[in-house]
Amino acid sequence: MNLNEIIASDTHRKIILFFNENQSSIDTAKGVSTWIREERPKVKKALEDLVALNILNAYRATSTTGYSYTTDKKLISKIDKLLKK
Amino acid sequence: MEKIDREEYKRDLFARLKDSLGLKREEECFGACLGDASWWILDNPTYTAQELKSAVAQTCVLQKHQRSKTSRPAKPLCLKSVAQTIKRARRTKRPETFVCPGLRHGFVYPIIQGDTIYGFIGVCYTKRDISARILGVFASFTDTVVREVQKEMELAKLYETIRPRAIALSTIHTLHRLLTSTLDLNELLPRIARLSLQVVRANRCSIKLLDSKRKVLLPKATVDMRERKTTLKKVRVGKWAPGRAAKFSRPVRGDRYLAVPLIDEDVIGVITVYDKIDNSRFNSFDQEIMTTLAEQAVIAIKNAQLYKEQERLTLGGIKSLAMVLRSRANGASVAPHASYLKIATMVGHMLHLNGQEIRNLEYAVLLHDAGQIVIPDEVLRKPEKLTIEEYDLVKEHPLRSVDIIRPIKALRSVIPILFHHHENYDGTGYPKKLRDGQIPIGARIMAVVGAFEAMVTRRAYRPAMSIDGAIEEIRLQSSKQFDPKVVEAFLKVIARRDIFSAVKKECYESQ
Repeated sequence: MNLNEIIASDTHRKIILFFNENQSSIDTAKGVSTWIREERPKVKKALEDLVALNILNAYRATSTTGYSYTTDKKLISKIDKLLKK
Repeated sequence: MEKIDREEYKRDLFARLKDSLGLKREEECFGACLGDASWWILDNPTYTAQELKSAVAQTCVLQKHQRSKTSRPAKPLCLKSVAQTIKRARRTKRPETFVCPGLRHGFVYPIIQGDTIYGFIGVCYTKRDISARILGVFASFTDTVVREVQKEMELAKLYETIRPRAIALSTIHTLHRLLTSTLDLNELLPRIARLSLQVVRANRCSIKLLDSKRKVLLPKATVDMRERKTTLKKVRVGKWAPGRAAKFSRPVRGDRYLAVPLIDEDVIGVITVYDKIDNSRFNSFDQEIMTTLAEQAVIAIKNAQLYKEQERLTLGGIKSLAMVLRSRANGASVAPHASYLKIATMVGHMLHLNGQEIRNLEYAVLLHDAGQIVIPDEVLRKPEKLTIEEYDLVKEHPLRSVDIIRPIKALRSVIPILFHHHENYDGTGYPKKLRDGQIPIGARIMAVVGAFEAMVTRRAYRPAMSIDGAIEEIRLQSSKQFDPKVVEAFLKVIARRDIFSAVKKECYESQ
């Protein structure tokens, strides 16, 4: 999936919007699914897609994985433009 | 400030009211008795006739009655009556009726709560005169709609206020889980640094732990998102931002840095973040969240330090036990050779064993022949070939090792290594005659390292083999006695000059 395809997907877009609005947030799949009101398995898969595209960072621990927004300024600005479209 | 808030509230309420479904419902309901009337809503009562015309035209949403095919534009003559009635309603703060020159009826209703007028609803071109009873019902309906909108606003405000806090709380909870999930300081400190950078969106983070005797902060982890090379500097307590944070036990904040002390009972270190990604200044929110993160980090660091200390004690205890056991076998109190421990752990790392598996391997290296303590001296030191019964006794030593270790709960996970380290890769070993993948990986490593150690060590029944000879023997037994992958890793490790020299030195010292 590329960035345009990702943005077109509802769940991916909701996740990106959530992290774009809350850039300091670090949350689990369970937490994110609560904030964006989507099913957890769907969210979990979408989160991993976004990690693969470096839009999100994953902090993997034995008991959980925390996800956070990229710190890449160029990527953030690119995402901002796509979200405004 | 309060006045600005009030004005903002009025504007927001009016905007929501204008678009509210409640008001549209009201128009539909009253349309039945008022006829195909024109409806409009205004916020500013001080419009000129021209402004009023434009404002009424802009709020034609209400004017487009469902049953009306066309939107009826407000007429200038009518606007004059409307403007006068608005003034009257504003003064009296009550609904006021009017009759247009075209003998059409209408009324202006002030949207009011207490003394505050939020706007006006106007209805004109009604079919008949508007009775006080209808106006009363209208007032009650409108009031309900206004309260509905106000409730909606309260909820929205609550959502706006609570949601960011709930998200922040969720972040703290996730941080707690991520930080307390490791007991390895080498893994924990860089993780704290990376998470700190994430929550305050900064470019660099440095974690320093306090050496209280020397009154100096020692750098332990630094992460720089800009991939710059950073030098790890010691900082004296009281100097620079981290030093001051440590000295005064409170956060020290500048435009481009934020140092937060790690406080247990006393200060144990300082987390410092530098340069926000968006070049903004560090603010009180950053300080608040970093302080919370530091509180979580302290717990995780203390746990990891305690675990490390406990591990050190366990390893010390095992070393002492191994020394006793070896003295029984060798007739002298000697420490287990450090080089075999190193070889085993290096082979383990090369085969991607995790931290716990490596630790188990270390313990197994120290204790692998613990069970020999139950073998009689005359058998252990017999220079001649062992009888079948004696050999059977020797073959029992893995089981005896397990019996010795079993009461120590911390060493339970070492048992499979001890029990199976004499199994052969081709299934010819003992005690269970397991083969290749059936044998635990730790036991397969232990088999190679243990055999190498045994070969280069002098025994009562044979002299010590040369190191090169032992290496060759290990190579020959690849895929037979030993796992070929383990042998490959072992040969790489033993080929290292430092390891070979250490083994040589230890062999020489033990002769």
